[in-house]
Amino acid sequence: MLTKDESPLTKGYQPVVWNFKLLAHDMLGGFGGMGEGMSVQIAPDGRRIVWLAHESAPKNFTAVDVSDPRKPKVVCQTDLPHANMRSNSLETAGDLMAVAYQTSKKDLQPAGFELFDISKPENPKSISFFDCSGPHSRGVHQLWFCDGEFVHCASGSRDFVPTNPNDDQFYRCVDVRNPSKPVEIGRWWMPGTRQGDNVMPPPRHPIDKGYRAHNTNVYPQRGDRCYLAYIDGGMFVLDISDKANPKKISHWTNSPPYTGFMHTVVPLFDRGLMLVTDESTENNAKDWPKLIWILDARDETNLVPIATCPMPDHRVYAQAGRFGAHNIHENVPLPTAWQSDQIVLGTFFNGGLRAYDISNPYQPKEVGIFMPPPPAGAPAGTIQINDVFVDERAIVYAVDRHVGGLYILEMDF
Amino acid sequence: MLELFPSREAGPFGRRLKRERGARIPVTVVTGFLGAGKTTLIRRFLASPEGQGTAVIVNEFGAVGIDDALVRDAAEETILLGNGCLCCITRTDLQLALRRLLIDRERGVVPNFARVVIETSGLADPAPILQTFSTDRALGGEFHIDVMLAVADAVNGGATLKNAAEARKQVILADRLIVSKSDLAAAGLDSLTRYLQKLNPRAGIDVAVGGALNPERFIAPATAERSGFIAEAEHSDGISSFALHWREPIEWTGFARAMETLIALRGPELLRVKGILNVAGCRGPVVVQYVQHLAHPPAELQSWPDQNRDSRVVFITRNIPEAQIRDLFAAVERLVSHGA
Repeated sequence: MLTKDESPLTKGYQPVVWNFKLLAHDMLGGFGGMGEGMSVQIAPDGRRIVWLAHESAPKNFTAVDVSDPRKPKVVCQTDLPHANMRSNSLETAGDLMAVAYQTSKKDLQPAGFELFDISKPENPKSISFFDCSGPHSRGVHQLWFCDGEFVHCASGSRDFVPTNPNDDQFYRCVDVRNPSKPVEIGRWWMPGTRQGDNVMPPPRHPIDKGYRAHNTNVYPQRGDRCYLAYIDGGMFVLDISDKANPKKISHWTNSPPYTGFMHTVVPLFDRGLMLVTDESTENNAKDWPKLIWILDARDETNLVPIATCPMPDHRVYAQAGRFGAHNIHENVPLPTAWQSDQIVLGTFFNGGLRAYDISNPYQPKEVGIFMPPPPAGAPAGTIQINDVFVDERAIVYAVDRHVGGLYILEMDF
Repeated sequence: MLELFPSREAGPFGRRLKRERGARIPVTVVTGFLGAGKTTLIRRFLASPEGQGTAVIVNEFGAVGIDDALVRDAAEETILLGNGCLCCITRTDLQLALRRLLIDRERGVVPNFARVVIETSGLADPAPILQTFSTDRALGGEFHIDVMLAVADAVNGGATLKNAAEARKQVILADRLIVSKSDLAAAGLDSLTRYLQKLNPRAGIDVAVGGALNPERFIAPATAERSGFIAEAEHSDGISSFALHWREPIEWTGFARAMETLIALRGPELLRVKGILNVAGCRGPVVVQYVQHLAHPPAELQSWPDQNRDSRVVFITRNIPEAQIRDLFAAVERLVSHGA
């Protein structure tokens, strides 16, 4: 019998690196609290630039030259106009970048998204700003922008009055084919979340994070579909063949009995599978379990959960910061993004970065772990790995939510 | 069942692996006769940076676990198998020990070891140890033998090898040979090396100086030494080794049928079969391995190690002449090509 002092459950965080090779770590000039926007651009001069969103003010975004992944170099780091906002999400398409702006309270400015010309990475130039502010809106939390034509985002709007203040962000599609004049062309919200809807508002979850949109993924393999995660509302497959009139095709949720906050939906088209993640938002694993789910999506109207990616004993991690699923590599349809339907890479806050082999989707198997030592000044005393992106060279970029900045890795399995 | 979810990224043998062990835990097996210097070699490895995060399993034959006490200081976790020789009654013990390591690691009771070293008793027959890692049902799904070393000391090694069939078998089955105590018997080094080369011409030979071996050579996967595929050797004890080559891509069905037939007829005499195949329809080489009647699941690698695209399979057999196996493959190939 182990004594309390010997028990691994009280020993706390133990760094582990298994089947990943760390190539470089960059604390990003002391501003290493990173969000969930990561995108790789090949600049006109040939340099490979990874663009990173920050978790919170004062920084807006950071560009890092990763042409040599062993020697990353910060080439640009910009500031937000004030501290009551954040730009947690960004995407690039060619030399265009869209950055989401979300304010801490409603009716503040700027709330929306901004488009930048990033052809000169050291000097991003603003092209336009799409305003989403309003008395009931905090602006844009997350956006998807890969084709250079449409921004799909989780956003509030001046004309949207939610039935519950937590339900302020919904799916919006904005045409940016003329980047200097973005125009909204379509929207969809979960019925019951807008005042005036002809259905009852949905029941609240014990941990109420809102019935609102999060990831809004759209892929060219099915350009007529939006894979929409809706936080406490689960997830939806939308028919967006008519972008002006999105229609629900199917809905799946795990909550209750789970604790809500569905975050990302990634279809694996060839395989008829779908990856769905939750996000852990409570410290000390109070909202455990937060998982990566695998769905049989061969019939998109009848999504069937068949497995979850295995996780370690949550009690070991329930001592500091968040623990549980969050972002995964999303097979973003860019030439600079790695594509895989065999390996899932996910971030788990103090559970680090984990890789799973899903060649047998009924039995996902953990094949890699990256849990580095806590970076200097980590407020939770642990890492809080927040997001991951893999480029087409299979180089892995992972960021820490608090202070750790950027980790650059090789997969070794 | 899995054809429900096909993938263009996967080959006929599943996910293409970056290397043979995939994501499994690498294992170094250290064989060698009593007093050959196995424990010293392991201790020196554990003291190196590469040795960090290593769990050691020591198999003691008979006596009190002295060797266990020697390595315990350095290893992340040491498990002593005290019930006798690994090849006999304790194969189950080895499985249990490895499973316990996995479970304890999951529970956080032992540190996150990233490698296992197994020190066999001097008398051990390596074949059953290889079998332990052969199939998913055993431990092949979690562990992979990256390399099997055989240690022979320059002082007594030559005499031991001449007198003990077990020692010769260890050398014949090894992926890499280590000559120890060279500082004590420089004069005997050349003759020992020549003898080792004769017994196992496909294995590289490293000399440990003062008990220390370049740590990389202690762990480097045996696949790196496949250049020895052309080797052939006749040994004492009825053991012989030879390699089959195919220049053209081979049909998997024919190869698999031939191996199934061979296993059914002569399984106990197939001491070790290992190879890389250029299988028609596969992008990368397919690694195959057999130990007696057990077959590792074949695995396709992402890329070939070099320009050579020949299929190459080394057989180490007892009392099976090379010609019989060649004839069998030729016969099965004819049957398969005629649609039988």
